[in-house]
Amino acid sequence: MKKSFEVRLHGRGGQGGVTCAKILAAVYAHLGHSVQTFGDYASERSGAPVRAYTRVGNEPITNRNKVYEPDEVLVLDDSLLGADTLDGLVDGGALLVNSPLSIEVFDQKYSTSTAPFTTGVIDATAIARKHGIGTRSVVIVNTTIAGAYARIHDVPLEALKQTYTDLGLISNFPAALEAYESVEYRGPVDGAHVEKHMATQVTLPEVEQIIDHVSSSGTGLATGSWSSQKPSYVENLAPCNAWCPAGNDVVGFIGALETSEQAAAEILGQSTPLAAVCGRVCPAPCMEACNRAEYDGAVNIRGLERWIADTIPVAVKKVARVSNAKRIAIIGGGPAGLAAAYEIAKAGHAASIYEGEKELGGVLRTGIPVYRLARPALDQEIENILALGVEAHCDEFLTANRMAEIEAEYDAVIIASGLQKLRGLEVDGAQLAGIEQGIQYLHRVNLPEDGKSPVESAAIQGHVVVLGGGNTAMDCARSALRAGANKVTVAYRRSFDEMPAIKEEIEEAGREGIVFAMLRQPVGFSGTDNLSGVVLAEVDLGEPDDSGRRRPITSTRTAVMDCDAVLLALGQTEDYGLLPEGWELPWGSERRVTAGNRGEILVFGAGDIATGEGTVTHAIGSGRRAAGLALAALSAVDVNDVPLDETHIFQRPDRTTAIPVTDIRLDHFARAQADTEQTIDPMQAVKNFNQVNNGLRSKQELHRCFSCGHCTECDTCLVYCPEGIIRRLTDEGTPYEVDYSYCKGCGICVEECPRSAMEMSS
Amino acid sequence: MNSDTIKTNVNPLPEYSSCSTCGINNEPMLDGNMQREGDRNEPILRPGNTNCGGCGMSVILNWLSLAAGSETRLQMVIPACCGIVTPGKFPNSAYGLPVVASTFASAAAVGTGLAHTAELNNDNTRVICFAGDGGTYDIGMATLSAAAERNEDLLYICYDNEIYGNTGGQRSSATPLGAVTTTTQFGKDVNKKDIVAIMSAHRIPYTASLSIAHPNDSLAKLKKALAMKGFRFLHVLSPCPTGWKSEPSEGIELVRKSVKSGLFPIIEIENDEVGETLTINIEPEMCEESLRTYFESQGRFKRGVDIPEITRGIERNWKSLRLRAGK
Amino acid sequence: MSNLNPKANLQFISANHAAAMAATLAGRANRNARGFGGGIYPITPQTECIEYLSKQDIEKGSVVRVESEHSAMGVCIGMALSGARTFTASSSNGLSYMAENVFAAGFYRLPMVMMAVNRTMGPPWNIWVDHGDTLMLRDSGWIQMYCEDNQEVLDSILFAYRLAETANILLPAMVCQDAFVLSHTMMMTDIPSQEQVDEYLPDLNLPHRVADRAVTVGGLDFPHETEAHRHQHHDAMMRVFDVYKDCQVEFKKVFGREIPDPVVGYKTEDAEVLLVSMGTVASTARAAVDSLRDQGIKAGSVRLRLFRPFPHLLLEKMLASAERIAFIDRNVSPGMGGIMWSEGRVTAPKDALVQNYMIGLGGGDIRPEMLEKVFADLLSREQAGPPQIVEVGA
Repeated sequence: MKKSFEVRLHGRGGQGGVTCAKILAAVYAHLGHSVQTFGDYASERSGAPVRAYTRVGNEPITNRNKVYEPDEVLVLDDSLLGADTLDGLVDGGALLVNSPLSIEVFDQKYSTSTAPFTTGVIDATAIARKHGIGTRSVVIVNTTIAGAYARIHDVPLEALKQTYTDLGLISNFPAALEAYESVEYRGPVDGAHVEKHMATQVTLPEVEQIIDHVSSSGTGLATGSWSSQKPSYVENLAPCNAWCPAGNDVVGFIGALETSEQAAAEILGQSTPLAAVCGRVCPAPCMEACNRAEYDGAVNIRGLERWIADTIPVAVKKVARVSNAKRIAIIGGGPAGLAAAYEIAKAGHAASIYEGEKELGGVLRTGIPVYRLARPALDQEIENILALGVEAHCDEFLTANRMAEIEAEYDAVIIASGLQKLRGLEVDGAQLAGIEQGIQYLHRVNLPEDGKSPVESAAIQGHVVVLGGGNTAMDCARSALRAGANKVTVAYRRSFDEMPAIKEEIEEAGREGIVFAMLRQPVGFSGTDNLSGVVLAEVDLGEPDDSGRRRPITSTRTAVMDCDAVLLALGQTEDYGLLPEGWELPWGSERRVTAGNRGEILVFGAGDIATGEGTVTHAIGSGRRAAGLALAALSAVDVNDVPLDETHIFQRPDRTTAIPVTDIRLDHFARAQADTEQTIDPMQAVKNFNQVNNGLRSKQELHRCFSCGHCTECDTCLVYCPEGIIRRLTDEGTPYEVDYSYCKGCGICVEECPRSAMEMSS
Repeated sequence: MNSDTIKTNVNPLPEYSSCSTCGINNEPMLDGNMQREGDRNEPILRPGNTNCGGCGMSVILNWLSLAAGSETRLQMVIPACCGIVTPGKFPNSAYGLPVVASTFASAAAVGTGLAHTAELNNDNTRVICFAGDGGTYDIGMATLSAAAERNEDLLYICYDNEIYGNTGGQRSSATPLGAVTTTTQFGKDVNKKDIVAIMSAHRIPYTASLSIAHPNDSLAKLKKALAMKGFRFLHVLSPCPTGWKSEPSEGIELVRKSVKSGLFPIIEIENDEVGETLTINIEPEMCEESLRTYFESQGRFKRGVDIPEITRGIERNWKSLRLRAGK
Repeated sequence: MSNLNPKANLQFISANHAAAMAATLAGRANRNARGFGGGIYPITPQTECIEYLSKQDIEKGSVVRVESEHSAMGVCIGMALSGARTFTASSSNGLSYMAENVFAAGFYRLPMVMMAVNRTMGPPWNIWVDHGDTLMLRDSGWIQMYCEDNQEVLDSILFAYRLAETANILLPAMVCQDAFVLSHTMMMTDIPSQEQVDEYLPDLNLPHRVADRAVTVGGLDFPHETEAHRHQHHDAMMRVFDVYKDCQVEFKKVFGREIPDPVVGYKTEDAEVLLVSMGTVASTARAAVDSLRDQGIKAGSVRLRLFRPFPHLLLEKMLASAERIAFIDRNVSPGMGGIMWSEGRVTAPKDALVQNYMIGLGGGDIRPEMLEKVFADLLSREQAGPPQIVEVGA
């Protein structure tokens, strides 16, 4: 060992620099040397730069000065590395730094590759963190880096271990050992020499007298260097946005509604032309995902969407055609087709819709009764789409031949014809008069023959049994009640929880007097010519099936329910009858159709025929994706280069990245019940087909939005920042600025952000 | 930072009101009433101070700055405590207002002196004593009590971090039962003093407790206390990540938990010629989960605390507070 | 009383009252500036002073009845820092309880005046005179003056304000007087008019007054700042000797009376034997000197009126002719001896015999005969011995 030498440590308050110096001294004392160790005591706090010193000799030590020309320098935080940390380091000395960098990178970054001293690098922070030394934010590295020191300076491990035992630090010894083994170092470069900048003060500055001291300026202490962790503002995925199948920016439009309906409509118009429709009939997966749901009830997003759309049409107005506009045919004027047409028109291309019925709207017109979806709202939104130059060819159900012609005529085709095949029941008595497909019944309800009112057109008497549990079943049941039925019973083979119908629809049906017979499977019909009853078997629930719902098991326990009419609402399936020979429409996505030896052609599926997801909002999303794919394919040099599972218009967000409720600081939000829409009294409602739900009274519900993951400029970060260094900015897009030169990285702003719109990062 | 880019709201400062429904409504000032015209040109606590990151005292100083606004002339007395170390080295200072460093026990006496000269000269200056728990509960108690008895025109703010933080974490008479400090290695074996009860027993015009998790309530109290004449005492629970062995980022949440659990009552007591009025500003939820996690997330309670006993203490305290509040 | 001297406003009062009257006059004199005040707290034998003060109606004045000496000085610091002229009084254990803030006032360089009645530090409790209490505060950065009679107490309070508030001094000053021997002893005292005091004491204008500017008074000094501040403080102390003279001249001009020099000699010109003392002992010493002179012994007396700053040069000049010098301390620093002796002996001529006597401790009544005995002892010595405590009884 050298005869005598001096060590200087540079650390930050809280890292344990003074203790580290003490450990080194204790080790050498254990080895029989004279030692001395002390720290620089000043006013700085956790995170501030601090120094500590160790002196080792074979003679009694008399020098009580600080260390100005160290033989060894330890730097516990590489952000401290600079001229004053290397001040006076003697040639042939040693530098040991806690840094995550490899020694090569370190040498390059800090120009130590030509240094006349040994250089050692160890990621003590990572090791100490792994061993749980200190807290999350302040990792105590002293006991770890001492292990690396021992390796570089040939300190016997036994001596180190004994010292840790003596100092009560033995639980940290494994971390020291890991550092001992993993430290990287290299010797001094021969012949190298660096100028030493000794900080010895020759002339002292004049100090102001107490009696002249009449004002002060700030300290200028750049406390931003105290921590490497800094806060920043981020945009995180809100669950409503993640769950909206149509791709609406829910957080965005609710936030904008605070300003005006116009601003909110503009945001909605980016993703949907059918906000007034969705605002009435959407099952609102966004509301199920809403982080407020478990707290005090989901934000009434659907109601707000309707409020906006009923105030101002959301669809964009007037889009100029692009010069090389493509022509795209859309088969089916339902929600998927309309959404696809809207996206195409919005992008400046030409869309033509082919619709079998007399008017556009698809299931929105034929399936959904007017008491749920007032026709003026639907008509207005379709009109807005057509106003963008979308052509409509109605009243022609296509054949496969006609489809082939259209395919040849247009640059691309989107098939969005929906699910046209109706599921029946193949049981005894299925042919009896009085049994009707619900879809057909609804068609009668919604498209009365000339001169007839819906009630007349859909007249039905006595006890009506509706078989099924989806929205069609609810629509049938409620329509039947309005059209003259004395009593309506919905029989469903599973339980309430499994019913696919919108919850609110089921509830409203119940309020209107619909009777529910759950866990009942129709196994036959009774009657001679005319129906007199339906035979229902009790159902037991078994193990969950692939959908997670418990599998219904039909028992042999049956009973006859007397009735006068049965409406079948058992679901629909895809009808590929309009596809020309050899065409294959992929199931489950909007990918291209394969046409025999032609391979993949520029024909895309959209909506229920492609995905079978069954809701308006899913159909809109699917239509948008299909339009996106079609446009991407058409603008590509080589269509096969286009990754057709991606679209520039709308991709499904990764729901696993949505902000969970545990990341919302609920304490910032008062509990408040959701605002509900004005509805007609159920006893009055069943008397006619008038719209039942008349929307929200005001937009105040918007204030309940947590705005998950999206900064609302609520000032919480400003309010709580202990340093007072967050400033509001006027620039759009950057609501706040953090003065990083002073930020101590405490993380309070991030922790307190009510909506998880901030994060800490290095 | 370019001050030109700071948004200022030209509206007058709003009247801060405490939550009307319950303690949970803490969404701070959604109407964006920070950084507006009427703010002080310089904050009371400038950046570049040497407080630890996440120091609760810094938060309350920022709010004091906000509550005072540019119109209020302030002088502040700070006795020995972290608060007088944080401004840094002579002649610079991290304080953007006139501050006098007093000896440890003397804040209320030196403050008295400043207030008397101000009164003699109609300076319209509000004198604030800003002291830690050591300078308030312990060494400064006699001075404080006497100034309160004389009803000096002083606003005395005690930021209580329940420890001698400046000297590295020794117990004070504000240290709670069970807390490990460098002088109570097995956890403190006696309860902390009830400073709000002590000070309100002086029948001073205003005594209140402030939570740094509840800005609306706290700002309202700060404004009220700044405007009143006579002796006003504010008690602020001030998280000390270093002494509490807690995460710096969690300080606000810790205070919130202490309020939710009933451990730290947020009340105000006013005295006038009619008598005493005790108002419970934030109804605690008596949340057990908050109480448990309050202790669990601080290393100083690593030796464990007797939760049932503490709960009984909380209940006793609230019983007497409700009696005094008349509800 | 006025019949004794129609020109003077003579009143028959104790020195405690004299001090309080001076403080009142000085306080009123600042009515056009930032006013006057201070914290007061009773302690025997100073209590009469603050009682008197608390009865006065002082325009723009505020006297705060606090709960301790520590707070009394705290209030003075607060008022002084905000520009007021301040005053307080204390004694003995009160001073030691106040000590922390006495240092604060010193190092803040607040030109306040405190009247200290010298009383024995207890316990055991003893209320009588001893200089050990104020000497304990000799390093607090205050100017210290020790008085000999009631008029000097009154005059010194006014003089102390003038001196302390001088722009190139700005240091607090302590005016010390002996317990009971002065504090409670009634003497004819000439009370100046308010106009005279107004003329002598200009409005106080404290340069570092705390107002609205952002300034932290007394934050952190690092080593270099403290080095410089102590350096500046010491330099200000050393300027006192010159300023003292100016203040004396002004005093004479306004009041027609003399303020004694920092070091007051009596028959020292040809003295071979000298007694050096502080406070009222000096009066007694003069009687002893006269007695010795009658016996043909060239005796003299020196009174150290100014203890801080310590007037080394003046004392040296005064002692120049002496062959034998007795330092008469009314205090003891156990293990050292008399404090005045320990500080002042370096000013004695090289070959003089210098002996320390500590006499009248705990208020022991020092009669002239006892000082004559001290002279006798001094004259009989072949060489100086260790500091010697002389017991005088009640």
